[in-house]
Amino acid sequence: MLEAKDLTMRYEDGHLAVDHINFQVKKGEIFCMLGANGAGKTTTINLFLNFIDPTEGQPLVDNVDSSKDPLEAKGNIAFVSENVMLYSNFTARQNMDYFAKLGGKPDYTRDDYYAVMRRVGLQEEAFEGKLKNFSKGMRQKIGIAIAILKDANNIILDEPTSGLDPKAAAEFATILNELKEQGKAIFMSTHDIFRAKTFADRVGIMKEGRMVMQRSSQEFLAEDLEKIYLDYMLGKID
Amino acid sequence: MLKHIVLKEVWENISSPKFVFTFLLCTVLIILSAYTGIGNYRADFKEYNSAKALNKQNLDASPSWQALAGLGTKITKPPQVLGTLAAGIQDAVGRNSTVNIAYDPQLVDSKYDSNPVFAIFGNLDLTLIVKIVLSLFAILFTYDAIVGEKERGTLKLALANRVPRDQIILGKAIGSFISLLVPLLIPFLLGLLMLNLYPDISLSGGDWSRIALMFLFYLLYLSVFFTLGLFVSSRTNRSSSSLFILLFIWVILIFVVPKSAVMVANHMSPIPSVHDINSQKDAFLQEIQGSAPQKVAEWREANEPVDGDDPTIFQEKFRAFLTELQQDLTARIDAKNAEVEESFQSKRRRQQMLALNLSRISPASSLTFGALALAKTGIHEHERFLNSIKTYKPIFTKWVNAKMMENLDFNARQQPKPVLDDMPLHEFVPMTLADSFALALPDFVVMILMIIVLFAGAFVSFLRYDIR
Ligand SMILES: Nc1ncnc2c1ncn2[C@@H]1O[C@H](COP(=O)(O)OP(=O)(O)OP(=O)(O)O)[C@@H](O)[C@H]1O
Ligand SMILES: [Mg+2]
Repeated sequence: MLEAKDLTMRYEDGHLAVDHINFQVKKGEIFCMLGANGAGKTTTINLFLNFIDPTEGQPLVDNVDSSKDPLEAKGNIAFVSENVMLYSNFTARQNMDYFAKLGGKPDYTRDDYYAVMRRVGLQEEAFEGKLKNFSKGMRQKIGIAIAILKDANNIILDEPTSGLDPKAAAEFATILNELKEQGKAIFMSTHDIFRAKTFADRVGIMKEGRMVMQRSSQEFLAEDLEKIYLDYMLGKID
Repeated sequence: MLKHIVLKEVWENISSPKFVFTFLLCTVLIILSAYTGIGNYRADFKEYNSAKALNKQNLDASPSWQALAGLGTKITKPPQVLGTLAAGIQDAVGRNSTVNIAYDPQLVDSKYDSNPVFAIFGNLDLTLIVKIVLSLFAILFTYDAIVGEKERGTLKLALANRVPRDQIILGKAIGSFISLLVPLLIPFLLGLLMLNLYPDISLSGGDWSRIALMFLFYLLYLSVFFTLGLFVSSRTNRSSSSLFILLFIWVILIFVVPKSAVMVANHMSPIPSVHDINSQKDAFLQEIQGSAPQKVAEWREANEPVDGDDPTIFQEKFRAFLTELQQDLTARIDAKNAEVEESFQSKRRRQQMLALNLSRISPASSLTFGALALAKTGIHEHERFLNSIKTYKPIFTKWVNAKMMENLDFNARQQPKPVLDDMPLHEFVPMTLADSFALALPDFVVMILMIIVLFAGAFVSFLRYDIR
């Protein structure tokens, strides 16, 4: 379970990037965080991974405060970052192998890696190809594969579908649903409101560091989420 | 965990084009340097042997004791076998010295004098390769060690796991160091193998210890640049700026600091020019030589034989007088030379020490001093050799004077040919390993301190590094 309690981040330059936000992502739930560029989504994620220390509040991972015990918290998070380049001289499998080991999973076999690569929709020819020849979307798939391999209770993804073609994006949605069925708590930031609508259990909208709206799927399916989102973006509602 | 990080680092480095290029270039360079170094040493050694033989021939052919006293004997400096690894100042300084009753002996006829084309290209010895090429590689292996992983997002991905930061930096340091070691160690061993293959090159146990210590010096030197690279890499946010800063420091440390240290020392502690020194010595020599005929005339006036005296008694008295005069005059020349030289040397030593200490800011200087001390191709060993000749000079002079006077025959047309059976020989004891090491010790310590400080800096910087 992921939980933000009054989570606040003010950068050294005084910029308030995250402003007392609260949310919960339970086991078997997908939470989609929407918000314009610079709204504070990545900052929120960085707080959960303790890449930065919060000014106030708590980022809780399975009830462990990530700012107090970051190693314990990070042991329970699988993370997919935005545009990760990975090691370009390594093959897809070598990259996965290294990060699986860092993630505490040293015993995967070649077949395990191949199975996950198939699952994320990477073409067979690329399995032993070096990353430097991969397209952005192919790298993104490896990033997702690495997160799957870690098999942690919680998954945090920062704009995972950016760079994926429509087919891959659809496959990605399937994978997320499978992971959710396995009981993972999934938090992802995205700009893709249409896709968010199809698989999110909850949706939050961030604006200038504040969580301005949160809806469960029952709620937002009944209303026009696109219109609400756009109204927030355009400043028609605050 | 550390093991995985180290292995990944080694593998990532070794599989990179950078590594392949480095390895090939190092191999080619080191083998080339071993090849030319060995060739030079063998040629020098041959020349040394023929110079010795020629000197013997000349001595044997001396027509008279006077001729021997005036022309003297030639001392030749043997080439150092470890000059194949660190040529040092060998080629630039003189190799031959004439020891006769007059002039203060100096080492002249350097290799560069006799064939200036050697001076154009200098020496490509292993020490130079390590100093310039490998230090550059150490930088190329580390400039993006930290900042590069940040740029590729892999640092974030790695630290999103249950991995403490110190493991990452330690693993990266160990792994990249191992991968830097390979392009040094393998060609180095190949070079040593080549050295071993020549039957006319024999390395003693002491030489092997020296080689091992030199290798340690190379390693320390590269570690300084290695830790410097890590340090800068963990204090920058773009690999391009890290590379730029490191190249800048590299140029300063390798080219600017050593040169300016010598210039500054020259300015702070000036020494008289060699011409001054030589003209002082020459003036005294002329004065002494000029005074001799007068002294002889005075003696003759006082001791003019009276008619009826036995001429042989007079001759014996005259011989005794001349012997004493000759010994006295040459002793005074030697004493004066020693005096002039002593004050000059002490000034020069002061300047040298100042220059050396100033330049130790740069590990390139430390490397050079250490390697030359261990290879016995530095200033120290050269001066020791020259001093051994200066010590030998009065011994030779005394002997040849005595012989000359003893055999002075006032009546004979032809002077007797010298017999060299009891001629005192020049002796030189090369510096012991312990002394060489003591000489290199300050550089050892300086480099180890630099490594500790830089690594600690890199470590602490990385713990606080903004990985986003
Ligand atoms: N180190 C920093 N110092 C000061 N301000 C920062 C720093 N990092 C980010 N910010 C600011 O914090 C705000 C939130 O940034 P953040 O990266 O969290 O946005 P985001 O929602 O992820 O945007 P995007 O959709 O573009 O990824 C931005 O205004 C940004 O300029
Ligand atoms: Mg972002």
